[in-house]
Amino acid sequence: MRKPSYYLHLTSVIAAAMMTFAACMDGDWDTPDLSNPPYGNNAIVEDAGKQVTIEQLKQTYASVINASSMAQITDDLQLKATVIGNDIGGNIYKQICIQDATGAMIVGINATGLFPFLSVGQQILINLKDLYIGGYGQQPQLGDLYNGSIGRMSASKWEQHVKVLPTHDQSQIDTIDFYSVAQSDMNRYCGYLVCLKDVQIGDAGSKLAPEYTTGTTLTYNGSSNGYVHHTLGSESMNKLVLRTSTYADFASWEIPSTPVTIYGIATRYRDTWQILIRAEDDIKE
Amino acid sequence: MVAALALSAQGWAQEPATKGPEQTTTADDGAFVFSESELDMSEESDVSQDVIQITSSTNMYASNISYTFSPMWFRFRGLDQRYSDTYMNGVLVNSAESGSFGFSPSLGGLNDAYNRSGDYSSPFETNTYGVSALGGSNNYNFRASNYARGNKITLSGTNRNYRARAIYSYGTGLNEKGWAFFGTVGYRWANEGYVEGTFYNSLSYFLSLQKVINDRHSLSLSTWGTPTERAQAGLSTDEAYWLANDYQYNPYWGYQDGKKRNSRIVQTFEPSALLTWDYQIKDNLKLTTTLYGKYGMDSRTRLQYNNSQNPKPDYWKSFPSYNYNVWGDTPATADEFAAWQESYDYWTASKANRQMQWDKFYYANQQMNAVQGDAAYYMLARHSNQLAFHLGSTLSWDIDRYSKFQAGIQLASNKGMHYQTLTDMLGAENLHNVNNYAIGTYAGSDSRVQYDLTNPNGNVGVGDRFGYDYNIIVQKATAWAQYTRDKGISHSFISAKIGGTQMWRDGKMQNGLFADNSLGKSGTARFLDGGFKMGTNLNLGKGHVIGMGVTYMTNAPHASAYGSSAFQCAEMNNNFIDGLKVEHMAGAELGYAVNLSWMRANLTGYFMHGTRLNEWQNYYYDDVNSFTYVSMTGAEKNYYGVELGVKFKVTSAFSIDLLGSMAEAKYMKNTDVSYLLSTQGTVTKETLYNKGMRENGTPLTVGSVALNYNVRGWWFTLKGNYYDRIYLSYAPSLRYESTLIRNGAVDNDGSFIVPEQAKGHGGFMLDGSIGHQFRIAHNPLSVNLMLTNILNNRKMVNRGWEQSRSNYTTDQSTGEKSSIRTYDFQKNPMKCYVQGFNFMLNLNYRF
Repeated sequence: MRKPSYYLHLTSVIAAAMMTFAACMDGDWDTPDLSNPPYGNNAIVEDAGKQVTIEQLKQTYASVINASSMAQITDDLQLKATVIGNDIGGNIYKQICIQDATGAMIVGINATGLFPFLSVGQQILINLKDLYIGGYGQQPQLGDLYNGSIGRMSASKWEQHVKVLPTHDQSQIDTIDFYSVAQSDMNRYCGYLVCLKDVQIGDAGSKLAPEYTTGTTLTYNGSSNGYVHHTLGSESMNKLVLRTSTYADFASWEIPSTPVTIYGIATRYRDTWQILIRAEDDIKE
Repeated sequence: MVAALALSAQGWAQEPATKGPEQTTTADDGAFVFSESELDMSEESDVSQDVIQITSSTNMYASNISYTFSPMWFRFRGLDQRYSDTYMNGVLVNSAESGSFGFSPSLGGLNDAYNRSGDYSSPFETNTYGVSALGGSNNYNFRASNYARGNKITLSGTNRNYRARAIYSYGTGLNEKGWAFFGTVGYRWANEGYVEGTFYNSLSYFLSLQKVINDRHSLSLSTWGTPTERAQAGLSTDEAYWLANDYQYNPYWGYQDGKKRNSRIVQTFEPSALLTWDYQIKDNLKLTTTLYGKYGMDSRTRLQYNNSQNPKPDYWKSFPSYNYNVWGDTPATADEFAAWQESYDYWTASKANRQMQWDKFYYANQQMNAVQGDAAYYMLARHSNQLAFHLGSTLSWDIDRYSKFQAGIQLASNKGMHYQTLTDMLGAENLHNVNNYAIGTYAGSDSRVQYDLTNPNGNVGVGDRFGYDYNIIVQKATAWAQYTRDKGISHSFISAKIGGTQMWRDGKMQNGLFADNSLGKSGTARFLDGGFKMGTNLNLGKGHVIGMGVTYMTNAPHASAYGSSAFQCAEMNNNFIDGLKVEHMAGAELGYAVNLSWMRANLTGYFMHGTRLNEWQNYYYDDVNSFTYVSMTGAEKNYYGVELGVKFKVTSAFSIDLLGSMAEAKYMKNTDVSYLLSTQGTVTKETLYNKGMRENGTPLTVGSVALNYNVRGWWFTLKGNYYDRIYLSYAPSLRYESTLIRNGAVDNDGSFIVPEQAKGHGGFMLDGSIGHQFRIAHNPLSVNLMLTNILNNRKMVNRGWEQSRSNYTTDQSTGEKSSIRTYDFQKNPMKCYVQGFNFMLNLNYRF
């Protein structure tokens, strides 16, 4: 009989060999091919002949937008635009904001967590046929019919109507100076990404949108539907407000007593500018 | 020793239950992370059908239960695993941190090492190594001379969690020079196990060397490990099983490049070593001393998401019933029905639709890279590494023919290293070590959202630690003694033990929510525990024996265990639970045994009463919009029941076995609860109305009839098993006083109407086996085919949990309900269905 140490050695060698053999089964996974994005409808074919601009759409449907009404788009049209705002900060909710060289508008989609699929700077192509267009407080918006006015479309309908294009470029977005350019022409610039330089936010020292305010009456210069409004500069609140959701990630940000620079989406509600910031770093102290 | 039930201290047929974020369900990973993501993502479901330990040779009931009832995860007397003790060569190896011994990560696959090397003792049976635990104790003899000489090869094929198994073992026996060696290596493998999307890959080795120096001294050294990698199966709701038309639907996997990728990969490896010195001081006096050391590694991956929609395919908002309350009385509107139908069509159109969408995760991260944002989806691993040293020394003194005395000490030191790492960024370029769940309550620029203030906004790369990182150190010392005496028809014993435990946490990150008490050492908590046990057996003659025993024990709290923790939230701070006390357990047992030529039977009744029990869970609590860390203190439970085991020898070739148990295991009074909100670090205390809730994940009623027949070296068994009273883990948040008030759950007398605990279906299962021993080249070849669930009854549930979510949203300023959800969480508990027909074929050759 061989010595026990022989078997110790032998078994160790077998164990070592099997250890090598029993390599990791959950291996390294390579990044999949994303040339056909796994979001949206890749079957939509870009057709220059069908394309309209936001300005053309706004002109065509000016009457329903101004009446805060809606209409279904029946023509086979396409819109090419760039995402300028989404729900990354929890302030813009179930909407994305898009802009092209001629104008900007809002798309209502009944889904949360849109930002990882439609990040700012992403160019998209929207197949407009069968979608609804209308005005919400005269803010132009794409979506679906909801109780006789313009509402959100379902996430699946949206994915049927959108194609993610290869271009992603934040630098192509025009950021308009609010005071010198946008403020004076609401019809043209509503929905744009704007910049307000050196502006004092009202209620310095308070939170931007204090927690637990849903269902209660806010004292912070007026509010509605879980949003809190603050003045900007010396403008009256029926002209211009900073509008922030109590659910925004930055709702607890404390308003400083010195002026700041704000980037945000300049939406309108009738004749009031409502500035929506997208994330905390849209405010530069 | 008769009153006695011997049972396996360790090997309930499956992998031990583990701790899981949502309920005290089953998940071996500690608990952490917040938000509904976690709640939904984190339940572990270790559908691991692993080792079966056959137990007592003296008790019909105990010797059969763990094997017979294993498909339904039967637990002896409904007790948690930490009420069982495991010893190796006399040293207690239960983890000092968790209180229990993890059988599978330590000994899984080492059948030839542990089979027939156990020495079991029931709760009121004496043994030579310690005071038997309430769930029984077991001592493995891992000395090389204990193993038979020769070679053995085992080959197995099965359709269970693994497909194939091969084991080779060799023992030398003790040679003339006093040396002995035993070694075994094994491998278990499945490219895909019983559940879709799972794999299994496990090597095991065990090497043991012994030198008998002389008549008085012997040294023995053993070392072993079972590096294992496996993919997990997750539980879901009946709606998901129905949509997938599969009781084994597994939401954890999805296609990536056409291949199935599972998000839940478990890797375990516990290299261990055992050094034993046997010293025969005199003929009647023996000292056994064993040192045990191990470095256990355990990591468990999961998909995490950042600030976005839960990507889980069976997330509640993805179900058809999210669109329309199918349980309500109101007919669906056309729009609701259309939405329901659209969701139904999506679920049923293709398998890929109802699984994880890996491509979307990569796409989303590419989008985030384009805006220099943090990963939207990533893979993380939660690690629990354990460095343990245990020393056990036992003196055995045979005083005379009738009396014996044993005494010993058990020392243990455990350093548990708990941390989380990033394992795959799924194509993303950035991730920062920031607590996204606190953002909102606090601004992103607020220091309280930092996971580690010593490195704020730290960049996290693959392999880096983030989220939490802490050690828990536990040191224990116990002394025990036992005296047994035979007098007349009686055999009696009395035993006692006393011990001390100290523990502390050592934080490696300075959590922003607890800047002052998360980094560095916590205070040290010290506990004194102990108790006694005594019993007697009366031999009435002619094979009839009556046995009885009583015990009273206190147990120090477990630092970090499945469903129990000494710390309020070890992932965030250094605080111990408020009101943490040693647990008290009192118990008694009365048994009757008969052993005749044609029949062997045991009938046992038992009662146990536990007080000051500590429990701990974590889950998302809707009503406060926060993930919560929940401590429950002062719980009281009763465990009682009757057990019967009978073997009728009808002829020498034919026998009938009967097994049955009716058990109760429930809370006897309501419990104090306090929960820490992960979003703001504040604690709320109130009452949990859990009186009457029962132990879950085990049938409380079981019965079995087995027919055994053997003829000419063939043997056949056919076994019918019945299971009932299977409770699911109750959700505490549905039974908080504040929740009951919010729901108006008060009757006319002003008493709270507490929701009934959800249950799973029991039922009947038919098992069988057939075996024969052949001879090849004069050596024995055993062939054994085991068939389980022959009738393919797939509707039986072996465990699950109630969802802790609420069917409404709560206005945080008033505490009132603000809106009612369409989806009904309480109608949709998470369930695990048993495997349908399955088999295992074993070939076993000795030479």
